[in-house]
Amino acid sequence: MAALLETRQLCKSFGALEVARDIDFRLERGARHALIGPNGAGKTTLVNLLTGVLPPSRGAVLLEGEDLTAAPQAKRVKRGIARTFQINQLFRGLTVLDNVYIAVAERLGAGGSMFRPAGRRADVIAEASGLLETLKLEGDAGRRIHELPYGRQRLVEIAIALGLKPRVLLLDEPAAGIPSAESHILLDAIAGLPKEIAVLIIEHDMDLVFRFAERITVMVSGAIFAEGPPAEIAANREVRAVYLGSAADV
Amino acid sequence: MTAPGPGLAAARALAERHRVKWWEAAPWLAGIALFFLLPSYLAFGTQLVITILFALSLDLVMGYAGIVTLGHAAFFGAGAYTVGMLAAHAGWNEPLSGLVAAALVAGAIGLASGYVLLRTQGLTLLMLTLCTMALLEESANMGHEYTGSFDGMPGLQFQAILGLFPFDLLYYRSQYLYALVVLFVCFVLVRVLVYSPFGQSLTGIRENVLRMHAVGAPVRARLVIVYAVSAAIAGVAGALFTQANAYVNLATLGLDRAAGILIILILGGYGRLYGAFVGAIAYMVLEHVLAKAYPTTWQLGVGLLLIAVALYARNGILGIADALWRRLRAAVAR
Repeated sequence: MAALLETRQLCKSFGALEVARDIDFRLERGARHALIGPNGAGKTTLVNLLTGVLPPSRGAVLLEGEDLTAAPQAKRVKRGIARTFQINQLFRGLTVLDNVYIAVAERLGAGGSMFRPAGRRADVIAEASGLLETLKLEGDAGRRIHELPYGRQRLVEIAIALGLKPRVLLLDEPAAGIPSAESHILLDAIAGLPKEIAVLIIEHDMDLVFRFAERITVMVSGAIFAEGPPAEIAANREVRAVYLGSAADV
Repeated sequence: MTAPGPGLAAARALAERHRVKWWEAAPWLAGIALFFLLPSYLAFGTQLVITILFALSLDLVMGYAGIVTLGHAAFFGAGAYTVGMLAAHAGWNEPLSGLVAAALVAGAIGLASGYVLLRTQGLTLLMLTLCTMALLEESANMGHEYTGSFDGMPGLQFQAILGLFPFDLLYYRSQYLYALVVLFVCFVLVRVLVYSPFGQSLTGIRENVLRMHAVGAPVRARLVIVYAVSAAIAGVAGALFTQANAYVNLATLGLDRAAGILIILILGGYGRLYGAFVGAIAYMVLEHVLAKAYPTTWQLGVGLLLIAVALYARNGILGIADALWRRLRAAVAR
């Protein structure tokens, strides 16, 4: 059976610099999968290749067997691939509710509607409000993004992605920049993601990775270095040597 | 009864955002009052209304969609020359259908040029918008037989509006009301657009284009559409200019006009609908008053005002008004 999301021999080069090398990666339905590796290993590049931000130099990206290698970002989103960004990419001057509204409206095909007020789309407003409630953001619904603490902004990133009703959710360092006192809110949000969504999380916080992931892929220098269940990865001496170090003791 | 929670209040605010506020009647009442109270200023008023319409079209692309352009006069000029050439060479001098023709021609130029230009951004886009305008200006300059070249096309004749209200080049009574009604119709259209999900997606593009791609929005298509709509409205403004003044010349297509309208919008406050009104009124009234008092040095005053706005009021006059209003409310709450 085809994996939900799969790459075959995926490569990306910038001139002579190879940032992704022959990546064969599978993300199964309902997976809780982590992608780890040292800085510059090519993790975010892989997310960019999966979402269509970057075109690959070679290889293929497949969603349930459908070849999406040449598909633009918008088509991949429509097929169910959503992402969050390592550095917040939000509509900073708009309210939290507006941020999520825009995502939900696009998914429902209302984004191009020109002659009906946005406020009359009660279905979009209700769904966006519901998502904010799920992520305990309803208290911030009317606040502009730039008025929110960074940790809450990270939650809005997730709310926007969930507004797209993804089948695959790619979380690029969701805990980056969050003070440890606030990180439990994010951990709860990630733990509470619906089981039918396959989640790939890129993270440097090994505590989060080992609590969350059922499978871990390790990338080094643009290639997959190791893959397996958390216990196996933690016990892998080579992985410990190149990346985990003492973090594997958690 | 308890107050609604912040989530519900935000949802309600979003649901009611498009509703017409009581104060929105003010510019239209002022416009009608000008007609009755200052009949000797109707020529000035007509130019003011046309400038507001042009600034409004620019606000749609620059203020809402974040497309920075220095060539918006291309569309104003396209509309102006369309009705001028139709009247001079084809005997098509019915004003309302002339406006429609101008909108279609300017919109088509906006669509075609936007399709090419909007692949770029930043300084490249800025330069390309300027180049598009320069190409049109030079075409108008070279097509002497059709455009009158540098001299333009003076003494154009147009039929009475709806067959009832003849254009009046002495007092501008018909022109003023005609321009005001056209501005109102276009304003309603722009208002509907900016409060629609489409308008909200434009704001999203302005705020963060990377995120808009990531939510699956067809970003370029949206930008090309709004660019064409804005071009059509600028074309209507240009057509009004030709019809109201009974002439068209190269000044309708020049950098002076393009830069002037940009200044007006920045002065008023962009991305907020009424910035076009406030900016046009402030700029043109100041220009009028200063030019009367200091016929040779009046531009110095306008320049100083612009420097002050650029340094201290980046959100324009409406931004200052907003800040004062917020302070007042905070003081009352204390």
